Amino acid sequence: MNPAWAISVLAPVLAACQAPPISRAPEYSSDLVVEGKRLIAQAPAKDKNLWRLRVALIALKEDRRKEARELFDQALPPAGTVLSGDATMKRARSLFSPEEAKVFYGEPYERAMGWFYRGVIYWMDGEPDNARACFRTAQLFDTAPKSGHRGDWILMDYLDGLASAKLGSDGGAALERARTSAGDIKLADYDVSANVLVFLQYGYGPLKKSGGDVGEGIVYAGGNSLTQSAVVRAAGRHMAAPALDDLTFQATTRGMRQMDWVLARKARVKKTADIVGEVSLLPGIILTQPEGTRDIGLALVGAGLVAKAVGGSTQPRSDTRTWNNLPQYLAFASTRLPPGKHPVEVDFFDENDNLIPALSRKLTINVKPKGDTIVFVADK
Amino acid sequence: MKNIIPIPTLGLCAVLFGGCASINDPSYGVQVTEMRADERGFVAGLGIESQDLVTIAEKMARGMLNEEAIANAEGKPNIVIEPIINETRFPIAKDIFLTRIRVALNSNAKGKMNFLARERIDVLEKERNLKLSGQVTGGEKVQANEFKGADFILTGKFQGISGRGKAGASDYVLYTFQLLNPRTSDIVWEGFHEIKKQGRDDVSYR
Repeated sequence: MNPAWAISVLAPVLAACQAPPISRAPEYSSDLVVEGKRLIAQAPAKDKNLWRLRVALIALKEDRRKEARELFDQALPPAGTVLSGDATMKRARSLFSPEEAKVFYGEPYERAMGWFYRGVIYWMDGEPDNARACFRTAQLFDTAPKSGHRGDWILMDYLDGLASAKLGSDGGAALERARTSAGDIKLADYDVSANVLVFLQYGYGPLKKSGGDVGEGIVYAGGNSLTQSAVVRAAGRHMAAPALDDLTFQATTRGMRQMDWVLARKARVKKTADIVGEVSLLPGIILTQPEGTRDIGLALVGAGLVAKAVGGSTQPRSDTRTWNNLPQYLAFASTRLPPGKHPVEVDFFDENDNLIPALSRKLTINVKPKGDTIVFVADK
Repeated sequence: MKNIIPIPTLGLCAVLFGGCASINDPSYGVQVTEMRADERGFVAGLGIESQDLVTIAEKMARGMLNEEAIANAEGKPNIVIEPIINETRFPIAKDIFLTRIRVALNSNAKGKMNFLARERIDVLEKERNLKLSGQVTGGEKVQANEFKGADFILTGKFQGISGRGKAGASDYVLYTFQLLNPRTSDIVWEGFHEIKKQGRDDVSYR
């Protein structure tokens, strides 16, 4: 056999043997909740809550209440849970792990939003007292920020009072707090006979980014929203829904976290080690050349390498995982409608009160004969 | 060499171990304990938990059974348990409270009380109407007004005071129960239980 011919036959055969295996492309559906659940399953344990919250909100927007409820219940620790004693927390504090080693529960504004949505779902389920409990827990997450901004979610207090009024208690104190937080925004008096409650949200919420010299801080890229208000029309009635709560404001008025002190110390260690490494290494190398200073040089090189290794291994990076499908603004409107099906139109307006035609939408709601009918509308 | 190596090495180690010591101080996270309402300490969860439910149900059952109106009642008084009014910041499954209290009362009352399933009135009415309309059997046995009226109504309310700050969070919950006479509106018996809990998240969540 001609060797050249044999080689020309064998070469492609052997090359084919070494070719990478061809794997089938994964099958994706257009169902965002199903795909989201796939992402939850694939996510590491520390990130599952983040994905649960994201997917839960998608499910809520798609009116898939049962799935949203389950996901929020999995993602939110029971109200009153004290987060301590977990090994991931120790790792997050340790020198050689980043903060995001801990299980994600979110910053206070994200935790508050989780409870807000859970409250909305409780109300949808006909449990306004449990909804009120959720709004109270949500507001409580805002009680340790910069002074002057404590407990200043408008809607949490407003809804707390509304639920109380509907349950036959006095919601006046909560309404007063809501009005104080709202400032110039006029909040309507409670109408306990209003049986259609419309929760609205506008725009895209804030995102976290690393700040500081070595990523030890959190800075927020502010959210944005073209929509500043909406009008809900049903059965000849108009309900104005101006933006009430601003999530970027809530995120950025949190003040310094106690974890920031830990990260600042980590950053100091990293920077000190890096400096020691740089200061020691080059002089050390130079000093190793002459016979008389070689020992000193070697010692400096050794110390420099250790310092560099420590500096490189230290992880002062802050946790920038973000619940990234939150809105920029929350709004609310309510009215009374007779039971049965009703067409509802929602128009969104910019800061100059110009209609944003592309966002307008028409819904059909089925008003329940008993209890409140909850409508959830997002412009995005 | 022996005199030289320790100088930069020790300096570096001092910096590094100093950093490690401060960051990994175990006092950052506080373990959780349960406490009495007037006691200071740290606890597991600040919310309404299963042990609270059991304690309260047993305590209320004992208190009610010792009440003269119940203890000396002729025959078995009919009791309706109303849904709990929850004014705390903790969402609760109200049915489980009612069930636990009814079970505690039944097991302690030894037949002294009769509970009416008023929370199931829709189902009961539906069944009765089916019988009366002849759609199901047993209508001939049904007479008007067979549903019993309550001799007493048991009501419960949970109220809370919550606080949260850099030092941690605390929750005080007051559980009150009243046994009402629906004929006279008298409060026949009243009992309460109170729990205060406090705790602090690990520093990584503060």
